[in-house]
Amino acid sequence: MSTPDDDFLVVEDLHAGYGGARVLHGVSLTVGRGEVCAILGPNGAGKTTLLRALCGMVKGRGAVRLGGTGLLGRPPDAVARLGVAHVPEGRGTFLPLTVEENLRLGAFTRRDRAAVQADLERVHGYFPVLRKRLKQQAGSLSGGEQQMLALGRALMLRPRLLLLDEPSLGLAPMVTRELFGIVRSINEEERTTVVVVEQNAHLALGIARQAHVLETGRIVLSGPAERIRADEQVARSYLGYRV
Amino acid sequence: MSETANTANTASTANEAAAEPAEVQAPGRDASGEPGSWGARLRDAAVERWRPIALAALLLAACYAPFQLVPFRVFQLTMVLVYAVALLGLNLLVGHAGQISLGHGAFFAVGAYAAALMLDRWDVPYLLTLPVAAAVAFVLGLGLGVPAVRLHGLYLALVTLSIAVFLVPLLKRFESVTGGSMGLTLTKPAPPAWTGLAEDQWLYFLALAVAVAAFLLARNLLRSRVGRALHAVRDNEAAAEVMGVRLPFYKTLAFAWSAMFAGAAGCVYTWVIGFVSPDSFPVTLSITLLAGIVVGGLGSLSGPLLGGLFVMFVPSWSQDINKAAPGVIFGLLIIAVMYVAPTGLAGLAGRAAGRIRRTLRRE
Repeated sequence: MSTPDDDFLVVEDLHAGYGGARVLHGVSLTVGRGEVCAILGPNGAGKTTLLRALCGMVKGRGAVRLGGTGLLGRPPDAVARLGVAHVPEGRGTFLPLTVEENLRLGAFTRRDRAAVQADLERVHGYFPVLRKRLKQQAGSLSGGEQQMLALGRALMLRPRLLLLDEPSLGLAPMVTRELFGIVRSINEEERTTVVVVEQNAHLALGIARQAHVLETGRIVLSGPAERIRADEQVARSYLGYRV
Repeated sequence: MSETANTANTASTANEAAAEPAEVQAPGRDASGEPGSWGARLRDAAVERWRPIALAALLLAACYAPFQLVPFRVFQLTMVLVYAVALLGLNLLVGHAGQISLGHGAFFAVGAYAAALMLDRWDVPYLLTLPVAAAVAFVLGLGLGVPAVRLHGLYLALVTLSIAVFLVPLLKRFESVTGGSMGLTLTKPAPPAWTGLAEDQWLYFLALAVAVAAFLLARNLLRSRVGRALHAVRDNEAAAEVMGVRLPFYKTLAFAWSAMFAGAAGCVYTWVIGFVSPDSFPVTLSITLLAGIVVGGLGSLSGPLLGGLFVMFVPSWSQDINKAAPGVIFGLLIIAVMYVAPTGLAGLAGRAAGRIRRTLRRE
């Protein structure tokens, strides 16, 4: 019997898809409280679908429990109210709104005004560039800044679980490294549990404790991040790079 | 640190930040001992705070106008206010919540008929008809909001259009209640003796009071958490949902509110015209209202007023230009405005104001 902290997020035999197209065929994994878990795999493996099923954007069969509470069958807004923040693929920025309005929308489910204000400051601490642009339209930000905004907005929820969908997509390598550094410090300082989906396996494995490799809707390999990184065979066949 | 406190403070800081350079310059002019420095300072302040100043000036002019114009012009301005209230509602729905409605005129009619029935059947005091008419429209708006939750874009447009289409025959059919094609004729609210106003002036001020109240209500609504939720729904539904915004709730509410404003406008319409009939609310009313808010400026607070002016005056002007084809002129003008100002007259006005401000500051 494992401690409740070890299986903070439990996914059991999760099947999900869009209409008739089945994408996930029985995915099972657990993530401990305060851990970073990386989901790796090639295009079309079902990584994004997995995150969408966790946050309620896609219907799933099986079981998903967060701290013992079932998530499946709840709409996304209800899952958000349980403390799950999702940084969606493509960032989901509200382009015509200002940076500040975007950040405040992240705290939409919260009523504690003073704490929200404090969290706004906290997010500025992580992303000083956002502070300078608070009154600017979010659409005028660069791709990297928008990704920071998306991450900052997710933090405004004070999430128990943070879901990151391809944070490196379309960003310069330096910006990506900075972003992953921030994710790591968020995880370390606030003990936020993180599930990150990435194609850039090297970076994701750098911050993750556990990693799972997904292929055509099934987990084909799981293990501690270092071991997966060290396994040259894995690297070549699934991750598309040489160590 | 102080910079942090400043920027994080409130939403009003954008204007203040822009005001800083001007304020820094003003003392410099003072030191030179120019006699006009106070005037210069006053002008700078006026340039920076143009928004409240412009609003105050507009309100003053609005209170002064009915004493200077002939009754027919006062009536026309009253109708501009009535349309502006209806357009405020449509703006909430289309401009802020990103939905579409081709049936807004139906809620306008519902408000108008609700007020007319109350006045005709039960002799309800006319001021009391306003909240009731607004409430009835609100409830019906909730009803329309339910299908709207499941429909998008063109499908939603079609469903809302069908409401506007079947309204007229419906009103004609229930003759015993609605008076059928003959409609209902009512006595207009008489001005209280203490005001010393003529009837047209009294009606104008009633409409002005309702319009100001509606404007304040819409503004406060949009500045609240609710307003943020509507904008999120408009800009990115999926992301809004992930933020915890309950889409069905806010979409339904947006329809209900927009209907409420239309109902209130319809009620004032009944007071002003003193007559309702099915043919007062044809399908084209709904389409004209949608055109009005798009031309006025979607998502802006001045859009409804500019749209109201457009809807009221342009058809009569086009009739003056060419008696045979007022519709053609009206349509051409819509195309022209959309070509010159894709963000509507409000966007055009905003750009012009910005240019004037910059020119004045440079001097």
